[in-house]
Amino acid sequence: MNQVVAVTINTFKETIRDRVLAVIVVFALLMIAGGLWLGSISLGEQGRMMKDFGLVALTVFGLIVAVFVAAGLVHKEVEKRTVFILFSKPVSRTAFIAGKFVGLCGTMAVVIAGMGLFLFVLVWIVAGQASGTLLLAVVMIYVQLLAVMAVTILFSTLGSAILAAVLGICVFVAGQLSHNVLALTRLGKNPLTEVLSWVIYVVIPNLSAVDIKAGAVGEQTLAWAQIGLWVAYLLAYLVVALALAAVIFRRKEF
Amino acid sequence: MIRRLFAIIVVMACAAGVVAYQVARPAKAPATPRVFVPSPRFFLDFSPSFRTSIADAYYLQMVQYYGEHAKSDGRLDSLPQMVDLVTRLSPHFARAYLFGAFALIDAGRPDVSYMILQRAFKVDPNDYRYPSYLGFFVYHYGKGKTKDLVAARWYQKAASVPGSPTYLPRLAAALLGKGGETEKAILMWGQVYGAGDKYSRQKAVAGIDRILPADKAARMKAVAPLYGTMPKAEFDALIAELFKGYK
Repeated sequence: MNQVVAVTINTFKETIRDRVLAVIVVFALLMIAGGLWLGSISLGEQGRMMKDFGLVALTVFGLIVAVFVAAGLVHKEVEKRTVFILFSKPVSRTAFIAGKFVGLCGTMAVVIAGMGLFLFVLVWIVAGQASGTLLLAVVMIYVQLLAVMAVTILFSTLGSAILAAVLGICVFVAGQLSHNVLALTRLGKNPLTEVLSWVIYVVIPNLSAVDIKAGAVGEQTLAWAQIGLWVAYLLAYLVVALALAAVIFRRKEF
Repeated sequence: MIRRLFAIIVVMACAAGVVAYQVARPAKAPATPRVFVPSPRFFLDFSPSFRTSIADAYYLQMVQYYGEHAKSDGRLDSLPQMVDLVTRLSPHFARAYLFGAFALIDAGRPDVSYMILQRAFKVDPNDYRYPSYLGFFVYHYGKGKTKDLVAARWYQKAASVPGSPTYLPRLAAALLGKGGETEKAILMWGQVYGAGDKYSRQKAVAGIDRILPADKAARMKAVAPLYGTMPKAEFDALIAELFKGYK
């Protein structure tokens, strides 16, 4: 446990100090504030425009941070050879993966919370009322990104950092289209493709199902039980992805 | 020194070229009345998580498109598709329905406007604005002898929505009377009288008086259905006003 905590703290400090991260966050904040301009040409729908475009900006920039930082986490340690020093100490490879992930979770929490609160306050000022569903949507985006981060870490144990980042983004996109894959399984006449698309449907995280961005603008009725189930599903998913990453990383030779 | 000066001159010349091009080029391409509007199905299938954001983007485009064409060539060929796309991606987007409905009138498509508002009312039956605008559109743009009655029915629906303005039952009652549905009009005016303020009561009395026959017996028969539909004290007060001057 101490090993995980040590790696977590170290990873958090390392990633939060990254200047690229700061640049991306500043850019995201500018994009969110840019929603003010869009709101001004919307015939009185400023609040709605701010919420919608703000959440999109938060998702996109959150994804960029999550994927690129997660993809480089393991590789950086290997390339800098610091991993050898680390493993000469009583740190297991599983604890290393777990610590890296939890540390990044902390960084992402700070990044997403910062952007989310900025958006929340901006919407409050523009629309004149606080939106609880907006904060809930931000939390759900964070949970989605955690799943993408776990998958990206899994890919980073298999191949290069760039490949892992690209595949991480692909998983995010595919996760948005998950229900289409299911529709394909129903349309398919060929049993092989039917089985294959069903497997893909099960393997890819169903991100579109756990998205409540539409709820922030009153297009979706939200039930706590449903949200709890979605969060549990994604948490279970990321546990499996991290366990796989740990297994692969344990067998890896440097 | 010369090399540095040369570099500065090159940079300055490039900067001047960029500014000159931007200043000289036309501000914007001439707007075309027909623009490509994708099917809502496409976005619902391929981007369900971002459907409201896409709806917002197209809503902004719709407003721009209307602004560009309404006052210039008056051609709003793609507006029906735009309104349809935005409202299908975001079915509770009230402003898109209302703006779209009025813009479609300008586009010469009150039929589409009517359909859009009907869909809106189906999605949000607690918003009185949709049926009241439907009534307005039927009354103003409808054709045929029954248009007053159809409009009155929409106003009746609007009036039955909790929190709707008090003028809606008056409108409904007036149109019912105009359309020939005397009994329904009297009942509606009775509701206006029972629930209204002094102004509404005056309107209700005048409205019923206008459609009632002059003969006392026929008048009595016509107002009989009101009995039991409103509190007795108000019924008595209304009857007293309607039969003022009768012996």
